[in-house]
Amino acid sequence: MAKYRTYPYDRKKYQSNQKPVRSKRVPKVNPIVKYFKDLGTCLSEGSTCVKLSTVFMGLGHIYNYQFVKGILVFLVQALFIVYLIFAAAPNLAKFSTLGTVKREAIFDPLTMQNTVNEYDNSFMILLSSVCALFIIFMFFLFWVSNIKSMYRTQLLLEARKHVNTFGEDFKELLGEKFHVTLLSLPILGVILMNIIPILILITIAFTNYDQNHLPPSELFTWVGVRNFVKLFTQTTTSSFGYAFRRILEWTFLWAFFATVSNFLLGHLIALLINSKLIKLKRFWRTLFIVTIAVPQFVTLLLVRNFLADSGIVNSICSNMGITAFLQNIGLVSKNITYIPFLTSPGWAKVTIVIINIWVGIPYQILISTGILLNIPRDQIEAAMIDRASPYEIFKNVTMPYVMFVEGPTLVTDFVRNINNFNIIYLLTQDVYVTTDQALANSHGKEVDLLVTWLFRLTNEYYDYKMASVIGVIVFSICSVFTILSFSRIVAGEREEVFM
Amino acid sequence: MKIKRAIISSLLHILLAFITFLWIIPIIWLVVTAFSGYRGIDISHFFPETWSTKNFGTILFKPDSVVQYVTWFKNTFIIAVFTCIISTVFIFMVGYAFCCLRFPGRKQLMVFSVVLNMFPGVLSMIAVYFVLKSLGLTNSHIGMIIVYSAGSGLGFLIVKGFMDTIPVSLRESARLEGANELQIMLKIILPICKPIIVYQVISSFLVPWGDFVLAKLMLNSGLSKDWTIAIGLYNMLDKSLINKYFSIFCAGGLLVSIPISVLFILMQKFYIEGVSGGAIKG
Repeated sequence: MAKYRTYPYDRKKYQSNQKPVRSKRVPKVNPIVKYFKDLGTCLSEGSTCVKLSTVFMGLGHIYNYQFVKGILVFLVQALFIVYLIFAAAPNLAKFSTLGTVKREAIFDPLTMQNTVNEYDNSFMILLSSVCALFIIFMFFLFWVSNIKSMYRTQLLLEARKHVNTFGEDFKELLGEKFHVTLLSLPILGVILMNIIPILILITIAFTNYDQNHLPPSELFTWVGVRNFVKLFTQTTTSSFGYAFRRILEWTFLWAFFATVSNFLLGHLIALLINSKLIKLKRFWRTLFIVTIAVPQFVTLLLVRNFLADSGIVNSICSNMGITAFLQNIGLVSKNITYIPFLTSPGWAKVTIVIINIWVGIPYQILISTGILLNIPRDQIEAAMIDRASPYEIFKNVTMPYVMFVEGPTLVTDFVRNINNFNIIYLLTQDVYVTTDQALANSHGKEVDLLVTWLFRLTNEYYDYKMASVIGVIVFSICSVFTILSFSRIVAGEREEVFM
Repeated sequence: MKIKRAIISSLLHILLAFITFLWIIPIIWLVVTAFSGYRGIDISHFFPETWSTKNFGTILFKPDSVVQYVTWFKNTFIIAVFTCIISTVFIFMVGYAFCCLRFPGRKQLMVFSVVLNMFPGVLSMIAVYFVLKSLGLTNSHIGMIIVYSAGSGLGFLIVKGFMDTIPVSLRESARLEGANELQIMLKIILPICKPIIVYQVISSFLVPWGDFVLAKLMLNSGLSKDWTIAIGLYNMLDKSLINKYFSIFCAGGLLVSIPISVLFILMQKFYIEGVSGGAIKG
C-alpha cells in the first residue's frame, strides 16, 4: 500500500496541531506557471513519440503498443476536429459581430408560402460560441494531459518500469482514480446548469440584447461597457442609475433586517420554549412547525390575500377602529379607507420584513433548539455553582456558544436574503404598483430586490442586457460575502477532526 | 419564591400562547377557507358562513380548464421522484469523493464548488432557459428534472460533513482486506450514511413541490396539463379567477401540504438521527 503513503491519509497529520515538518524547502510556484513549465519540459525533453502525439494524439500510444488507448484518444481528437469544422467554426467566425444577415421573409407566389433567407440568429451564435470556446478549452486541457501522460510513460519505459495496460488503467478508475469516476457526471451537470449559463449571462451584459433586438427577427451585437455605464448613471432619458441606487439600498437594508430579525427572534422564542418554566414543550414546537408543513408559496400567496387592501384583516381592522386610529396618528393617509399593508412603500417594507419573520422563525427554532440542546452542560453547571444569574449565563455562556456555531451561517443567510426571490415576488407581484415615475421608467419598484428587478426585466420586458448587468453585479456582491464566510466553512482544519 | 415562580411561568405561557396564536392564524384561515361553501374570498367573516367539502371534490374529481389538480400532482410526483434519485446519487458521489479520496486539486475544486453553490440560481435562470430551449427541453418533464438535479452535486456539504465523522480506520481496514474503492463506498460507507441519505432523498424530493420560479419560467406553454402544482395553484389567484377559485386554492394548498408535512417530519427525524448518530459512532 505504498502508493497511499504520499497522500495525507495518515490521521496523525490531522490530529496533531503541529504543522508537518517539511524535509525540503520547496519554493512556492504559481500553479499556472508550473503547469506550463511542466508542459515545456515534456515537449523539449520528450522523445519522438511525445512529439508525435502533439499533432496526432494517440500515435504515441500506438508506438508504445497501447493500441486500445491510442485508438480511443485518436477518436476523441477526430471527433473534436469534426466538431470544430462543422459546428464550432461557422459560429465562431460570426462571434465578433454576432451575425450580420437579418431575417427576411419573402413571399413566394409559387408555393404560396413565405420563404425565409439564411439569417443569423445572434443568440444561437452567442450560445454556440460560448459552448465552443468552453469545449476548445477542455480539449486543450485534455491535449496537455495527454502529452504529460506520454512523457510519464516515456520516463517509465526509460527506467524499465511497468507501464499500465489499458485494462489496468480501466481498473484504476475503481482504485486510485476513483474520484474521476465519481465526479465526472456531477461535474458535467454543473457545467451544463451552472457554468455555461453564468458565462452566457456575463457575455450578454456586453451586448445590446433587449426588446428591440430580439432574435430571430432582429440581430444584436457587442456594445462594450455601455450597459454598465447606463446602470450607474442617471440621465434625462434613462433613470437606471436612480433605480439601481434605490433598489440596492433596499436590498441591503432588507438583507440586514431579515437576517438579524430572524436570528434574534428565533433564538428568543427557542429559548422561551426550552425554558424550564414552560410545560408541554413538544406541543408548542409542533404548533410552530405546522407553518412549515404548508409549502411556502401557498402561505405567501395566502398571506398576500389575507392582508389585501380589501382583504379580511382590513375589514376587521376597520370594524374595530384600528384603521381610524392609524389615520389619526398619521400612519395611514386620510385619503384611503384601508391599511395599505402591501401597497404603500413604507408599509409594504415593514410588512415584508414581518412576514419574513413569520416564515423564517419556525426554521430558526428548529436550528436553535438543536444548538441549545447541545450546549455543554458542564459550562452552565459551572456558571450556576459560581452563582451566575440566568441573564449572566445567557450572556456569557449561551450566546458565545450560539455565535460560535452559527456565526458563519449568518453571512450565508445574509447572502441568501440578498437573493430571497420568493418572498418579495410572491407577496408583491401583481399587488404593488409603484408611484415613483423614475422607478417605473426602469421597471423597478420600491420593494424590489435586485433579483426580482432582474426577473421582471427579463420575464416581462425582455431587457436581457440590463438584467445581465444586474446579474453580474449581484454575483460580485455575493462572491465578496461568500469569500468572507466560506473560508471558515471549508477551511479544512476541521475536517476529520472528530476522531 | 414558589408563587413568584408560578406567576412568571404563567405569564410566559400566556406570552408563548399569544405568539403561537399569531403564527397559527393564517394556517387556520387556510383550513377553514378550504372547507368554505363560498368560492371567492370572504372578506367579512373569518370563519365561513356555510361549510362544505365540495372544494375537495372539485379538485380531485372535476378537472376543468383551470383546475387539473390530479394531473399536476402526477407531474410534480414524476419530476420529484427522478430529481431525488439523481440528486441523491450525485450528492453522495461528490460527498464521498471530497471526503474519502485524496486527489490533486481536491481542495481547489471544493472551494470552487462552495462558491459556485452560493451563486443564486435566479440570476442565471434566463440563460438556463435558453440552454434548455436550444435543446428542445422546455415544457417537458425531462427538462424540469435536469433543471432540478443537474447542478445538485454542489450541495454536498451536509453529506460530506457527516462522512467526515466516520473513522478513517474503517476504510483503511477494508482496504487492507483488499476491497477496492467502489466496494468500500457501497459496502462500508453507504450503510453507515443511511440516515443522512434518507435526509437527502426527502429534501431533494421536496424541491419540486415547493419551487415556483424555475417551473414558472420553464413551463411556459400556457397549457395547464403541463404544469406542476405550484404554478397551477398560483394561476388560480389570477385577478380574473380569484373570485371563483380562492377556496379551491386553499383546498389544493391543504391537500399538498399533507404529504409534504409527513415527509418533512420524517426528514427532521433522520437529520437529527444522522447528526447525532454520526457523532456517537465517531
